[in-house]
Amino acid sequence: MKNIYLSPSDVIGSGLIKVDEVRKTVCPRNCFDTCGLLAYVKDGKLLKIEGDPDHPITKGHLCAKGTLYARRTNHKDRIKYPLMRVGKRGEGDFKRITWDEAFDYIVDKLKFCKKKYGGESIVEYIYSGNREFLAKTVADRCLNLIGASKLVGSFCLLSGLSGATYTNGSQYTQGIEIWSKKAEVIMIVGHNSSFTNVHSLPFIWEAMDRGAFLIVIDPYVTPIATKADLFLQPRPGTDTAMVLAMMKYIFDNGLEDREFISEHTYGVDELEKAVSEWTLEKASEVTGVEPHLIAKAAEIYATNHSHMECGWGHQRYTNGHQTQRAYSCLAAICGHIGKEGATCNYLDISAYKTPSVRDKWDRGVRESMGFLEIDNVNYPKGSPSKYLRRRLINISAFGKALREAKEPPIKAVISWRGGLLSQQPDVKKMIEGIKKLDLFVSLELFMTDDTDWADIVLPAADTFEQYGIHPSYWHHYVQLQKPVIEPLHESKADLDFWCELGRRMGHEKFFPKDKTGDQWLRDFLPKDFELYDSVDSERIVRIPEKYSARIPWADKKFNTPTGKIELYSVGMAERGKRHPGEWSPVPHFEETMESPVSRPDLFKKYPLMMISQHAPLRIHCQWFNVEEIQEIEGPPGIFINEMDAAEYMIKEGDQVKVFNDRGEISVVAKVTNRIKKGVCEVNSGNWIKSGSSPNVLMGEYTGGPRDVGDGTMRENYDFERDGNTIGYFNCLVQIKKEN
Amino acid sequence: MAYNHKAIHVDTFRCVGCHACEAACKVEQNIPPGPKWIEVIEVEKMVGAEYKMFWKPMACFHCGEPDCLPVCPTKAISKREEDGIVLVSKDLCIGCMECFRACPFGAPQLGFDGKMEKCNLCVHKTAGGGVPACVSTCPSEAMFFGTTQELSSLMRKKHSVRSISVNGAGNPSVGSASAAKAAEGRTQVVRLSNKAGALSNH
Repeated sequence: MKNIYLSPSDVIGSGLIKVDEVRKTVCPRNCFDTCGLLAYVKDGKLLKIEGDPDHPITKGHLCAKGTLYARRTNHKDRIKYPLMRVGKRGEGDFKRITWDEAFDYIVDKLKFCKKKYGGESIVEYIYSGNREFLAKTVADRCLNLIGASKLVGSFCLLSGLSGATYTNGSQYTQGIEIWSKKAEVIMIVGHNSSFTNVHSLPFIWEAMDRGAFLIVIDPYVTPIATKADLFLQPRPGTDTAMVLAMMKYIFDNGLEDREFISEHTYGVDELEKAVSEWTLEKASEVTGVEPHLIAKAAEIYATNHSHMECGWGHQRYTNGHQTQRAYSCLAAICGHIGKEGATCNYLDISAYKTPSVRDKWDRGVRESMGFLEIDNVNYPKGSPSKYLRRRLINISAFGKALREAKEPPIKAVISWRGGLLSQQPDVKKMIEGIKKLDLFVSLELFMTDDTDWADIVLPAADTFEQYGIHPSYWHHYVQLQKPVIEPLHESKADLDFWCELGRRMGHEKFFPKDKTGDQWLRDFLPKDFELYDSVDSERIVRIPEKYSARIPWADKKFNTPTGKIELYSVGMAERGKRHPGEWSPVPHFEETMESPVSRPDLFKKYPLMMISQHAPLRIHCQWFNVEEIQEIEGPPGIFINEMDAAEYMIKEGDQVKVFNDRGEISVVAKVTNRIKKGVCEVNSGNWIKSGSSPNVLMGEYTGGPRDVGDGTMRENYDFERDGNTIGYFNCLVQIKKEN
Repeated sequence: MAYNHKAIHVDTFRCVGCHACEAACKVEQNIPPGPKWIEVIEVEKMVGAEYKMFWKPMACFHCGEPDCLPVCPTKAISKREEDGIVLVSKDLCIGCMECFRACPFGAPQLGFDGKMEKCNLCVHKTAGGGVPACVSTCPSEAMFFGTTQELSSLMRKKHSVRSISVNGAGNPSVGSASAAKAAEGRTQVVRLSNKAGALSNH
């Protein structure tokens, strides 16, 4: 038994404590790293979380958030019991009720909505606050049986995913433990490894010690950017122009890999034509990056064994799918796809879809063909609703759907594992939509922005109090999550909530009361998967290669209509004939829908481009209320360029109002040179009630390729090929010093 | 036996200001919000036309000749022979914070009990051969722990590997020459400072 030095928080330095057990578990947050964890438990209480040294990628290291986990789990402000709204929605006044009373109320309302409007008036709101898949899929089973609308899509990265997928097929990642050993050049694009992927850093440092050259592309000088050998800082939303110029430079100077292009790509002539207008000077005018730097990056990337590690920042603008199209084509013309140490990583989708599935290009909505048996769980045998054509609600236009959906309108939302108000854009409009609901339930750990507007608030169980499985979308190691402690207070594991709701809505058959978490996990894992037999163990297992190859595309087989890497995307051209949207088959640059160039009318009033970083010490709005995090972060701030600050007569520490037509917030000025003049930055995840949420100012822009209109759909939706991503970062604001 | 004295070395090239060390210290030592036995300081400055940004985690340096030790009126501060860790005895300390005024680095903290407290190099772990919590947690592997002699050898090895690595980079393939050329400049740069690309303003 390991000893840890810990004492109850009111007694300092009282000596070593012997714990009862140390359990292995895994962090299920929306983070690339998906760390192995050690949980120290004594007397049924979680004392401490440390990194698990046995994890081959995360190696026992942990970020600040993971390290402080126990303080969050044991936080005094955890919601302890169910609450019912007293007074008007949004007043934040609640009374305590029992779980029975809560369920009765919810079931009554759901049945009412079903009767009056139809089951499709009900929808969940879920994202990735706890990204594990098991409870999410069981919830889907419940919602399927109820006949609710189905929530699809994302607002985070699917525009870019479509750009990558249309180029070289379904996306899988080559592990960093492999590429970092062989890459001569590492190009990190739109990715703040230093905050969102910290465990990648030792691999990158080793590569650099070995002589690898680091290029970083970001509108913001992130910490990883300060370590780069070459840093390109384009105007937010203009990467595409720079990448097109890089490709023209490469073609003009014969730096492309002609053999690779002729053997494995399709459409190079159209691409060469498309980039022909993008001289270095033209790109420099658009992006603000000096021409010689664009040329240097192109030359170094093209002429070496180069690995491109794509994040998702560059595609969080309207037209983000074309931005990723450009980057993926750049990798392709240089022959840097499918090679050990030289490929283009975007995302690993093996949990949803394995490479062995050669899907029909325009197939219908089949939930999953990945290594998790998602379909078996959300469409169980004997369920009457298998393949029922439910209406789809696209989460990237959720606000619009709330306000505009018809036949039926949305009348009931159960919100869990996501910040509906805090992480969607245009808070004012979202609140309008919420006001129209007959039922708004929020399952939460703390009284957040969402709970303020709920009718029923339910105490959610924490990560360490539930079952789950959370495959990383970056590395290839997976672990089971088992409860390390009992749910605190009256909280209920998410799985238990949805099963209970399912039973109370009349579907006991599909939610057996005595079914254990272990049994649910067994339903969810493929029978030939190593963890299936070891549901009781705490092993860290590499996903079998048939689900995610060691070197994706080493066989040079690409899941595209032509079977080749499509520089001219036949796939986009074809899908564009069926659905509205932006389907240009060759990458091209367009100003974002809210930029100084596209909206001179707005720019006159709101002359600053606001982007939004992932805060290093939080996952968006998670951890915002943890005091140990607050004392490091300080009060919510805005980064303002030094020259701008001088013009506005704003000093470091001044309170500043930031505003546009959508609203206003108040934050502390941080004067810096890490962003260019004309750009400012407010962290994502600041709680709305702190008055500092940048989402108040952001517009409801849904990036492509598919136009999702009011967010409702009745036809096929394909998460790999339709998009979407919300254009969070194309946002014009004005600032003013407060007195 | 000063050459056996232990220290934490931070490779400031690797530090990215994630503050995990701060969190690890709090959790390991059970410190509530307030005192920071280690704190990461961010520095941003223009050096000529070059923009530099770096991060410096600062705990206690367990100085060879601590300025805090002689000024303590109750002799509460001592330096261990075996590993050089500078400790404060809460029993003897009266919380006058003269040590704080003497320390050039801001290491002493005022605890909630009114007594001084500070980084103790996780003596409860390191005395038995372990590693301080900050060092083991650091996700960037930027922190190293050992005797000053061990740390010196480590940094010498790291530098030497870099200065011959230019020609040994990865696969010999088309363009490795240009990678070598491109990386050439780097071997002359002492990695403990940083360089960012040219900062031009739009």
